[in-house]
Amino acid sequence: MHNDPKLLGLYCHIPFCKSKCAYCDFCSVAGSGNHARSVYVDALCREMSEMGKKAKGYTVDSVFIGGGTPTLLGEALFEKLISRMYEEFFVAESAEFTVEANPATVTKKLAEALVRCGVNRVSLGLQSVHANELKLLGRIHDLADFEKSYEILRKAGIDNINVDVMFGIPDQTAESFLNTLKHVVSLRPEHISAYGLQIEPGTPFFARKDELPLPTEDEEYSMYIYACEFLEQNGYGHYEISNFALPGRECRHNKKYWNGDPYIGLGCAAHSFFCGERFGRCEDISAYVSAVKHKALDSTVDSREILTLADFESEYVMLRMRLSEGVNKKAYKSLFGFDFDERYRDRLKGYVDAGFVVDNAESCHFTTDGMYVSNSVLSSILDL
Amino acid sequence: MSYNKNNIRNFSIIAHIDHGKSTLADRLLEATRTVAVRDMEAQLLDNMELERERGITIKARAVRLDYTAKDGDQYVLNLIDTPGHVDFNYEVSRSLNACDGALLVVDSTQGIEAQTLANAYLAIDADLEIIPVINKIDLPSAQVDRVRKEIEDVVGIPAEDCPAVSAKTGLNIEDVLEAVVRDLPPPQGDPDAPLACLIFDSYYDSYLGVVVYIRVKEGTVKEGDRVRMMATGAEFEIIEVGTMEPFGLKRCGSLSAGEVGYITASIKNVRDTQVGDTVTNADNPVSEPLPGFREVHSMVYAGIYPADGARYGDLRDALEKLRLNDAALNFEPETSAALGFGFRCGFLGLLHMEIIEERLEREFNFDLITTAPSVIYEVTLKNGETIRIDNPSNYPSTDEIDTAYEPMVKASVITPQEFVGGIMDLCQDRRGVFVDMKYIDSGRVELHYTLPLNEIIYDFFDALKSRSKGYASLDYEFKGYEASDLVKLDFLLNGETVDALSFIVHESKAYGRARKIAEKLKDNIPRQLFEIPIQAAIGSRIIARETVKAMRKDVLAKCYGGDITRKKKLLEKQKEGKKKMRRLGSVEVSPEAFMAVLRLDEE
Repeated sequence: MHNDPKLLGLYCHIPFCKSKCAYCDFCSVAGSGNHARSVYVDALCREMSEMGKKAKGYTVDSVFIGGGTPTLLGEALFEKLISRMYEEFFVAESAEFTVEANPATVTKKLAEALVRCGVNRVSLGLQSVHANELKLLGRIHDLADFEKSYEILRKAGIDNINVDVMFGIPDQTAESFLNTLKHVVSLRPEHISAYGLQIEPGTPFFARKDELPLPTEDEEYSMYIYACEFLEQNGYGHYEISNFALPGRECRHNKKYWNGDPYIGLGCAAHSFFCGERFGRCEDISAYVSAVKHKALDSTVDSREILTLADFESEYVMLRMRLSEGVNKKAYKSLFGFDFDERYRDRLKGYVDAGFVVDNAESCHFTTDGMYVSNSVLSSILDL
Repeated sequence: MSYNKNNIRNFSIIAHIDHGKSTLADRLLEATRTVAVRDMEAQLLDNMELERERGITIKARAVRLDYTAKDGDQYVLNLIDTPGHVDFNYEVSRSLNACDGALLVVDSTQGIEAQTLANAYLAIDADLEIIPVINKIDLPSAQVDRVRKEIEDVVGIPAEDCPAVSAKTGLNIEDVLEAVVRDLPPPQGDPDAPLACLIFDSYYDSYLGVVVYIRVKEGTVKEGDRVRMMATGAEFEIIEVGTMEPFGLKRCGSLSAGEVGYITASIKNVRDTQVGDTVTNADNPVSEPLPGFREVHSMVYAGIYPADGARYGDLRDALEKLRLNDAALNFEPETSAALGFGFRCGFLGLLHMEIIEERLEREFNFDLITTAPSVIYEVTLKNGETIRIDNPSNYPSTDEIDTAYEPMVKASVITPQEFVGGIMDLCQDRRGVFVDMKYIDSGRVELHYTLPLNEIIYDFFDALKSRSKGYASLDYEFKGYEASDLVKLDFLLNGETVDALSFIVHESKAYGRARKIAEKLKDNIPRQLFEIPIQAAIGSRIIARETVKAMRKDVLAKCYGGDITRKKKLLEKQKEGKKKMRRLGSVEVSPEAFMAVLRLDEE
């Protein structure tokens, strides 16, 4: 089509935390020692040399180190990991390079190491500014930790910071959530993610879900709608269901997921979309480490899906609709060869009438109300 | 054994539920060595799994016992078991008519209960000799003398010397057998007279066709005879004649007046062999059938739908199979806008309905949606026409109706005195008309009420139990139709009537029920993307309303690390869940929620 370089996102999963939060169902373990982390980084390095060969010819324009708590690796391991990454992949100088950090783990030394490694974006999991809410969530930091970390990162030269906040937390009220938002906005981070708390099976919260003082469905809805309005008013564009950014500061890496662009996930529990194929690696850290060591990287893949055109089509709509710009009908037609309206106009009609969806000649996208119930709408309109 | 009718005793055992009828039957089988102890499966006569679980007898059964009495004579004892529930009163009366005597079992710790009396009266009506048997005397709370006196005072039959036994331990069982041969009369009848046999049960066997249980009243029936069912007019050539042994049928070629046994004739349908009908010889018939035959009428109707609409055909096959064995089960295809294709089924009563539902679920693996049970209403229209309504959807509009009639029952409740107040309140509340009240003894009372059947099927029994700590017992019989101020209550979701939720109710009850069901709908319909108004209406008049608020929250699953597959699976699951939903108008409701709304739990 055009002569742009083939672009690629890289995700790298660091499954270690100081302690596990009560709501978290991501792949991470608490209380691992330095040795375990070092062994894991070795395995990552081996995986990178293998995957790097497959990614020859691609330009990496976004890197995202997530977890877990990547900053728990410490400067030395972190630098080892990143320098190997630069050897195995062609990472563009202009790449967006994000690292997730727990506010309690950021030191000046670490921040300087990050910058040295080329990191230019940090995502801080604040969740709430209120001590009681943080405690209930099982977070190990407080507001002061966060503010200190924020300042350290700014001073170290990180000019692109995301702050995660959460709504629907036990004990939270619309007012307390508003205070969290106000406080965060006053710091002017470039990006804010606002996630609704989900009670996932297998978490401590799930076991206690009937006794948790959770906000009601209606309160939670108000929090979401309020956040969307408040952040827009303060200059943060609502570009994805849960994501808000100052102009030009949308997260390039996350947008790859929604745009159906290729990415490679490194490490246990990481997912890739590469050469028309989605695959994910096992969640078991030691199984991952030992398979890689024995040059059996392929055996760590525990889910694999080769997308048919039909799969790709429904995924495309599902993912694009998460973005506030929605589906561009011209782009849709050039990809799939038929009109978006032909398939979806009738299915969408009720939702358009009810104010959940805007469907015009150029594009189709959710309203704010629609975003909050997007699963219901998508599951009913898509051919799954 | 050669035929000597003086040595035959045909009898049944009657009792209130749980007074030990089936246990006594088992002990009799053991004591006569008809069944070796090691072969006893607890309660042999109740051989449907469901019967054993519920502790009730659903189908009548019969078995032949050979007994050598203390006088040295050999006797043939035909024990005819009777169903033990008010739904099956007619079947009980036919079984009793096949007998010459009855054992009236009374629990010595409980005394006389509603069904003890109802059954005793049926036996008296059938001219049976009755021997009271006082049971459970092994229990510390047994009051044998008190119960003897109660039987004499209340039932009015002598009980001074009647057997007092423990069917559980086998204590004094011999006394019962001796009383049977001593006190019950041998059967009457002339083996050379024209043939008249009473059908008291039948069942379908895939090899033999319908097996018909008969009591020969007059004449002799032989294999090869051509017989006629006098009520249905169907004629058949007899293939097998025999007797019922505990573990199966035993062919014997012929049966004569006074004997009990079975006939087969490659009959395809139990409908041709209705309980109470008379079998006569087609070439030499009796002029009059035996008295007392009645067509079986369904008293309670409900719509039964497969939760999975695709199984409509399977449901029809299953109902056909059950009907082969159950002449009281009726069904017609019906269509509901809300529930799709299903069947309007007629039952003898609520228990019968529950049994059919449970058998469909267990034996045929169905998930069912059942509409609220309804009785049959009679309506005379302004144009003079009279119609019968078994489905609320067909109820005419108010301005077409001249008079509506509803079925009434005569109900008898026996209760410890302390609960009388609460029970009278309940009957009052259920539109009952007090008839009278009698003291059975110093502590217990028998209450008579006339009650609308539709109030009884609306959770009456449970309410009665809860108001009497489980002590009160109920029996009722159909009385007739009475004019009544009935209205049809409709429910609208999102402005559309949901046909499956409509029901007919007395005007005075409409408001309360409407509010209750509207609330239940609100609680059970999951929030959806749109606000759902719920309205209850009589005609165009809205009498209750609720609102299901719009769904506000939907899982905002994040796609961490780009796990799109998981996200997609989540949507697939959600879509799959929706497929199971029933559309009630424009509203989606799961079968479970629908059933929760229809569950009758007033108290």
